[in-house]
Amino acid sequence: MEIPFIVNARKDTGLFNSKVGIWLFLASEVTLFGGLFSGYLFLRLYADYPWPERALPVLPGLINTFILIGSSVTVVFAWAALKMREWKKFQIYMWITLICALLFLGLKAVEYNAKFHHQGVRLSSEGSVQDFGYLEGHVHYGKLDENGKLIEVSKQEKKDNPEGVFSANKIIFKASELTFALKRPAHEAYVKEILKQAGDDHKITLVGDYRVPDEDELHAAGKNRAQLEASEAALVVADGADLSIDDLDDLEDAFLDARAHDKNIRTEFLRASWSWIRDEKGIDEISNLVITTDLWKERMAEDNAKIKDLMISAPGTVKYKIDPPLTLVWEPDDIPKLADTEIKLRDDTVIKGELQPSPMLLGVDAIDFRHTAMRAETEGIEPMDAIKQSWILTHENSKGENDLKKAWDCHQAWLAQLTKDLDEKNEEKGLEGEDRLVPTDNDKYRVNWDQMVAYKKLDFDVEAVAAAAADGSLKRSGLFDLSGFAGANHNNYEFPHVEIPRENVGFTSTFTPKWNTYYAIYFTITGLHGLHVIGGAIVLGYYLFFGRKMYDSNPEWLANRVEVGGLFWHFVDLVWIFLFPILYLM
Amino acid sequence: MSADSHDHHDDHHHELPFWKKYLFSTDHKTIGIQYGLAAGAFLLFGFFLMIVMRWSIAYPHEPLPGYLSWIFTDGWKGRWLDDGKVTGDTYNMFGAMHGTIMVFLGVVPLGFAAFGNYVTPLQIGAPDMAFPKLNMASFWVYLAGGIVMCMSFFMESGAAKSGWTNYSPLAGYADRQIVNQLLAGQTQWLIGLVLLITSSLLGSVNFITTIIQLRAKGLTWMRLPFFVWAMLVTGFLLLLAFPPLEAAGIMQLMDRMVGSSFFMPTGLYSAADDVALDISGSGSPLLFQHLFWFLGHPEVYVLLLPAIACVAEIIPCNTRKPLWGYKPMVWGVIVLGFLSFIVWAHHMYLTGMGPVISTFFQTTTVLISVPSVILLTSLIISLWGGSIRFTMPMIWAAAFLPMFGIGGLTGLPLAFNLADLHLHDTYYVIGHFHYVVAPGILFGLFAGVYHWYPKMTGRFMDNFLGHLHFWPSLVCMNLLFFPMLTQGMAGFHRRWYNGGEGYIEKASDGVNVFGQTVADNISLNEVMTGAAIALAVFQIPFLLNMFISYFWGKKVTSDNPWNATTLEWATPTPPGHGNFTFDIAVYRGPYEYSRPDHDKDYFPQWEEPKRSNPVEEPSEKPEKESTEA
Amino acid sequence: MADSVEEIKKAKKLYLIIFGALLVGTALTVAVATFPALDVGGHGFDGKDAVLGLIIASVKASLVMLIFMHLNHEKPLIYFFYGLGIVMAFFCMWLIGWSKSDPIQYGNSEKADGFYNPEKPTTNVHGHD
Repeated sequence: MEIPFIVNARKDTGLFNSKVGIWLFLASEVTLFGGLFSGYLFLRLYADYPWPERALPVLPGLINTFILIGSSVTVVFAWAALKMREWKKFQIYMWITLICALLFLGLKAVEYNAKFHHQGVRLSSEGSVQDFGYLEGHVHYGKLDENGKLIEVSKQEKKDNPEGVFSANKIIFKASELTFALKRPAHEAYVKEILKQAGDDHKITLVGDYRVPDEDELHAAGKNRAQLEASEAALVVADGADLSIDDLDDLEDAFLDARAHDKNIRTEFLRASWSWIRDEKGIDEISNLVITTDLWKERMAEDNAKIKDLMISAPGTVKYKIDPPLTLVWEPDDIPKLADTEIKLRDDTVIKGELQPSPMLLGVDAIDFRHTAMRAETEGIEPMDAIKQSWILTHENSKGENDLKKAWDCHQAWLAQLTKDLDEKNEEKGLEGEDRLVPTDNDKYRVNWDQMVAYKKLDFDVEAVAAAAADGSLKRSGLFDLSGFAGANHNNYEFPHVEIPRENVGFTSTFTPKWNTYYAIYFTITGLHGLHVIGGAIVLGYYLFFGRKMYDSNPEWLANRVEVGGLFWHFVDLVWIFLFPILYLM
Repeated sequence: MSADSHDHHDDHHHELPFWKKYLFSTDHKTIGIQYGLAAGAFLLFGFFLMIVMRWSIAYPHEPLPGYLSWIFTDGWKGRWLDDGKVTGDTYNMFGAMHGTIMVFLGVVPLGFAAFGNYVTPLQIGAPDMAFPKLNMASFWVYLAGGIVMCMSFFMESGAAKSGWTNYSPLAGYADRQIVNQLLAGQTQWLIGLVLLITSSLLGSVNFITTIIQLRAKGLTWMRLPFFVWAMLVTGFLLLLAFPPLEAAGIMQLMDRMVGSSFFMPTGLYSAADDVALDISGSGSPLLFQHLFWFLGHPEVYVLLLPAIACVAEIIPCNTRKPLWGYKPMVWGVIVLGFLSFIVWAHHMYLTGMGPVISTFFQTTTVLISVPSVILLTSLIISLWGGSIRFTMPMIWAAAFLPMFGIGGLTGLPLAFNLADLHLHDTYYVIGHFHYVVAPGILFGLFAGVYHWYPKMTGRFMDNFLGHLHFWPSLVCMNLLFFPMLTQGMAGFHRRWYNGGEGYIEKASDGVNVFGQTVADNISLNEVMTGAAIALAVFQIPFLLNMFISYFWGKKVTSDNPWNATTLEWATPTPPGHGNFTFDIAVYRGPYEYSRPDHDKDYFPQWEEPKRSNPVEEPSEKPEKESTEA
Repeated sequence: MADSVEEIKKAKKLYLIIFGALLVGTALTVAVATFPALDVGGHGFDGKDAVLGLIIASVKASLVMLIFMHLNHEKPLIYFFYGLGIVMAFFCMWLIGWSKSDPIQYGNSEKADGFYNPEKPTTNVHGHD
């Protein structure tokens, strides 16, 4: 059996099979990216926060665009070479295409990596508009001193002695008691983390025996429940046993078995009662009305009395005490609920103790008040008034200083100059009303990392900044500034440093999809596009490395395949042509 | 079937090992049967879930009876049943999975993939699908998706619980307590869905390419059987409507796995933990609904068209006259396919989209009833004046017509957004679409099974068991779904796990009118539950029939046992690898029954005309003969 | 389709020209977005910049489609498939976008003229009380 029209075109359609297939597939890809772009459009048009315009460094995207366009040309040249039966040339062009794909992905990885290490924080101060100030930067390293207090560690110190060092965005909690919920399996990674942090110095031991009487003996006549529980066979884990994952598994199994047993017994009794009331008493109302009758209630009371002795009733939680109390360092993400004396992990394990100061140590490269301004305007407050009251501008560090306030003042000086320049232009061109050039919200309410660098260079001296802005020597990072290739570079520049108390951290995330819907759609679309690049490269690579045999036997077939693979590659390029301006330049 | 296939095709291929022949086969017929068996198994499982739910609705305070609960382990019952009774959580889980399984894992694979795979290449005279390996891949990806979805029943989180529509923010928040999100039922649902969509995309590319490229000589567009047309349109629906849902699925996966806020609005608050959710917000639940229903509505036609296609093949064959209005039906199905893309938001009248856009979608929704009615009316008129053979497939096909009619007509009030304000999310909606899907689509597919079974196995299905399957099923279906319409108009909400009995107590104060209405209609719950259980019992004859007839059924005496005209009956029975034993060419339209100028009452497409003309190349003439006879 | 050796040789020249055009287009998009002197519309990013950027992108995309993907001489069936995809994607974007800008729901009083508008107390728009 042979499928027709694999190599040669069908007469009435003029096409070979795989070409029809690939174009159908591309049509479906159009709707796939159509769906994603609909998402982008919808999220952007109806965002209830200031959409980050032109937020990404342009250069990597620009280079990637060149790379993809170049590879699009080489892939079509590779196809042309095959058509002319020039195998060597085909190989060369295909190699270039694959190298382009690798370069593209490598650059993408650099961009992603920069974002994964860039932290954003939305401040929080008791529910007023000044909540919505944002700081961006890199989290510094810290470790616990002998009293369990957080101290900062420099990069060099971390390199010399990495032990116990973590990035300083953690919950620090002095724990004295753990309670595991047995109805949910304790998460192994959490238990291991606790054991690791406890080391040998802290004993974590079970409080009280966990005992479960044997179910068969419980049902046998004449045995007394208290006796059974006291017997050796009933002991699952003894009082004072050290915490271990094996023990927790045993406890959990014992509890789940006991619960299943109890429920089975109750089910049997309930079934018997229903057939009793329906068959013997002849009551055939709908069940809700039946269970409100006195007859049913009496029966239930009888049942409960009988059931009581047959139940195992194993306790649903176990308690471990920690001696001496242990200072745990915990990821904020794993704690859905935080209180001064108690934290709950995502596996419902409750840790009791004392919350320690858990500030975030941040090297700040950008300040953003756009959201504050937006909220203030909707509430009828003058934006600048709200901004002035924000924690960012009012806090003081241990030395009584506030670098961010200084940076902000410098920014005002720069802004004044910009407004003046624009006004001059307005005069010059005679622009009036809505056509007038005015500073954007980005200019007004955001100190970008390159501005921060410029102000810092002038030691946050307002006069100097004003002077530099006036004579044009205050340079912002240009398109080709390699020091900020993938965003603010904390190795090259020194940025102001703040310690944000935990209660002032409203929402924080690295610049991953979690940070806001812009980064969410950015990562989703570019990630999906990246997967397409990988897929396309695999297919093209297959033709390059394993195509020789087919070239010798049926070169036209191989040319067809390369054409089809090339069509997909062009489509990937096509998507990027739209992605680049939409995500990087708008 | 293997032995027979080798008789015809010994020269073509050597004996394949078992795993290659039955498991990882690239033969479209084997894959079709694999799809059919897998989809059948999923349908039975989905049906079982439904019976458990119906038990909970009718008898919320009674433990599940032994014949339903024996399947669960003690540990599972301990976690998910409350002293043997179905809890709200469990009901939600079963409800969500019932819908998902029936739509994505049951009916679509059975109608489009199983019948489409088996019959389409045969009907167009092709040796196989255009991309046989891709075809195999679609099946295995589908199966993987199904297994991933259903695995979550055994996990800590249980299976997905947020409805088959998986609306955010509910679906974005559910199972957040699970530390490893990959093991949460709600996440697995999404992963399964992405796999299923991938499978459907591969499948639809394959189908469309096959139909366009591999038609036999002389099989012009207007000589295609209606079945093939329906499959072509269905293929396009899957191809273009599924990707936006894939996008939505990926976005929701991001919401769950990395904490993004695509569909999570600002200000969400968890009552369980008494804290604000740790998300950025500014997402839009409405966006998810849009992207979901952009697929969701075409999906309805993906379910429906294969069933109509089967019926459209069976009716001409058993009335012994051409399909009435073949051309209008073809254009109808094309228009239907196109319009189905722009009606989706009629599922969303109550989301606060605003009246202008609602009016737009109301208009398109009413418009789409025109092609639907063309299809159904043509099928009904096809019966007129025919000498109908009431064979087993014909009985099912005949029952399909009124049942689908009820389903379609009850949809009209839902299309109007004023009426929908009252009926939205009530049992009326459930009754409406179950009439379409269960006694409608499933009857059509049953008809297909009875019709093509002889071609697949070389034996007829047993008539007695067939009747024992059909008549009780017809009665039970109506007893099951008609009361839903009544209850729905009385305002019964579709997601009450206890059948609404909580409202009855309030009825006694004489003020609560709604409570009184509920009290008046609640006894219907027991009728429906009884009917559902009976319906399950009467599927047993069908399962027996499939099995018994395979070994002991009456053998077919010719390759064309129904005296039909389309190309699948030109193959050996059952068809071997490569399908046709001679060079197939087509000389006329698909439904040439009872032609006065021909000696037999059917004139197959592949039979050479008497005058021994060469193959008639694409031209207008034969079409006219075939369709307007 | 460029099938003969002659045609392919000719086509290769065209591919190089298009390559150049695409590079220029890319440089142009970045230039109008980065250099204040080339900024269209108001100072900084605004609707006009978005439109300009999308126009340049569309031109580039058309070049890729027409020349590299050979859509300048393709079979009708291909136009049908691809066109259908684009039409459906357009429906998806357009209707989804529209659903949030409903003139009545979202109080755009200019468009909502003649309908009920919650921001403007209406008087007897439909001619009856």
